[in-house]
Amino acid sequence: MSSWLPRIARRLMLLAVLSLAGGLLGATLVRFAPGYGMDERELDPRLSEASRDAIRNEHRLHSGLLSYYGAWMMRAVHGDLGRSEWLDRPISGLLAERFPLTLRSVLLGVLTAWSAAVLLALASLCARGWMVDLAGTLTSGFLIALPAAVVALAAMYLRAPVFVAIAAVTFPKVFRYLRNLLVHAYEQPYVLAARARGIGQARLLLRHVFRLVGQPVAALFGVSISMAFGAAIPMEALCDSPGIGQLAWLAALNRDLPLIMNLTLVVTLITVAANSVADLLHQEAQ
Amino acid sequence: MNAKAILRIVSCGILCAVFAAGLFAGSLTRYSYALQFREVPNAAPSALHPFGTDALGRDSLARLLYGTRISLLLAPAAALLATLIAGVFGGVAGLAGGWWEKAILAAADLSMALPLLFVLIAMRALLPLDVSPVISVVATFLILGALGWPSSLRVAWAAARDLRNSDFLLLARAGGCAPRTILLRHVIPNLRPVLFAQFWISIPLFILTEATLSMLGLGVMEPLPSWGNLLKGLEDFSAVRANPWMVTPLVLLVVVVLCFQFALPGEGEPA
Repeated sequence: MSSWLPRIARRLMLLAVLSLAGGLLGATLVRFAPGYGMDERELDPRLSEASRDAIRNEHRLHSGLLSYYGAWMMRAVHGDLGRSEWLDRPISGLLAERFPLTLRSVLLGVLTAWSAAVLLALASLCARGWMVDLAGTLTSGFLIALPAAVVALAAMYLRAPVFVAIAAVTFPKVFRYLRNLLVHAYEQPYVLAARARGIGQARLLLRHVFRLVGQPVAALFGVSISMAFGAAIPMEALCDSPGIGQLAWLAALNRDLPLIMNLTLVVTLITVAANSVADLLHQEAQ
Repeated sequence: MNAKAILRIVSCGILCAVFAAGLFAGSLTRYSYALQFREVPNAAPSALHPFGTDALGRDSLARLLYGTRISLLLAPAAALLATLIAGVFGGVAGLAGGWWEKAILAAADLSMALPLLFVLIAMRALLPLDVSPVISVVATFLILGALGWPSSLRVAWAAARDLRNSDFLLLARAGGCAPRTILLRHVIPNLRPVLFAQFWISIPLFILTEATLSMLGLGVMEPLPSWGNLLKGLEDFSAVRANPWMVTPLVLLVVVVLCFQFALPGEGEPA
């Protein structure tokens, strides 16, 4: 337990540094993006000159670089992610509203993809029949050749839930990597020796094979969470599911830079945290 | 010759044919990709329009050929950029070791954990809304190349690290070989096959990502065609059912991506 604490502290420190660096980078990109400080309300002919001046002053308030970063830091310390320019609503409120749906779809999608990949990879290895191996290879080969947006369209036509589409995008990459890892592990001399001595399939897997592939599998699990969040954008956008993937897509289309930058930062922190947890669990298992 | 080798030759043949069709699009069709035949929208295949026309009356074959040119020229360019970044930084990390290695690998690990599509659309959103189609094409593939290097970097680093510990490099150093000679005569030729494989693997990845971005309206802008924005037509399912030839771009994309997978030699096979 005592060895856990420094490791957890290191990971938390990494997340804190990443939040600060990512937040500052996002704020910088928003600040220097073409059109920063322009407000379309200034083009409204119904507004008086005084109103236009008030709008201009509103933007001038934090137009200096130091003042801009200072205001950003103060807001960030208080957990305020700013306001969406397009929806004119607090970003934290939008996240609280839409994040649970995406999280549910991503977790179910990753779980489904991993279950299918593990079952098929183990079946093709243990059964040693070419039919199962061929079925897995063909399915993953075909799915990997489809753009994620086409999978989303197929899900929309078939009225399949979003998590099934996310699973269909994540499955082929997980299956291929997992199968290669298992094949490599099965070819190791000590695994061959254990099989020659008649050790049962379950014991062989649990005691020898899984131990060898543990670290890359933990890393793959972290990456699959990141893949699934990425896949959520086309799935939610095309299947009209009101999660943060759809919100990010709409924010990009409407060029709502504070919203898209904050969404990217939040999702990045979640995926980095998932990678850290997978890594810590693996280290503990060893 | 085994089945894998035959499949590899067939795949290379298909890729060459599709690449040539895109490159010589102007000779294979007499229409421009933007020319509208307003009187025949959604026309069925005919002698004048072998693949029919789209909802705006534009010749589908012309758009497919010019779209092929854009996708198959710019995806390799983006893959080249990503491979160069991966090769340079992976090579430095593998050969220099120490803090350089730690810093570069930490950056690569962090980048691999990023949700790529979120970062891509965030970068794409930085462009103004009224960006010209040509700039949209260049920006899309430039962003893909600039962000698609992390997994290749790890492979380049592993290969460079093995080289650093190799006997022949140690012998070259002990023999007083200049660093420039070591780099040009020993390191680069040995890293080349690894980097070529990474370049080849990246091409279909970028083709697929561009397709998703363009289908979401955040990639190549109309009226320029790319495989991605040609697939946008599939969103209208009733139109696809009435005009099944609308799936031609999807079939071509899937075939090309599969050919890229089959054309790469496996471990131990001659390149």
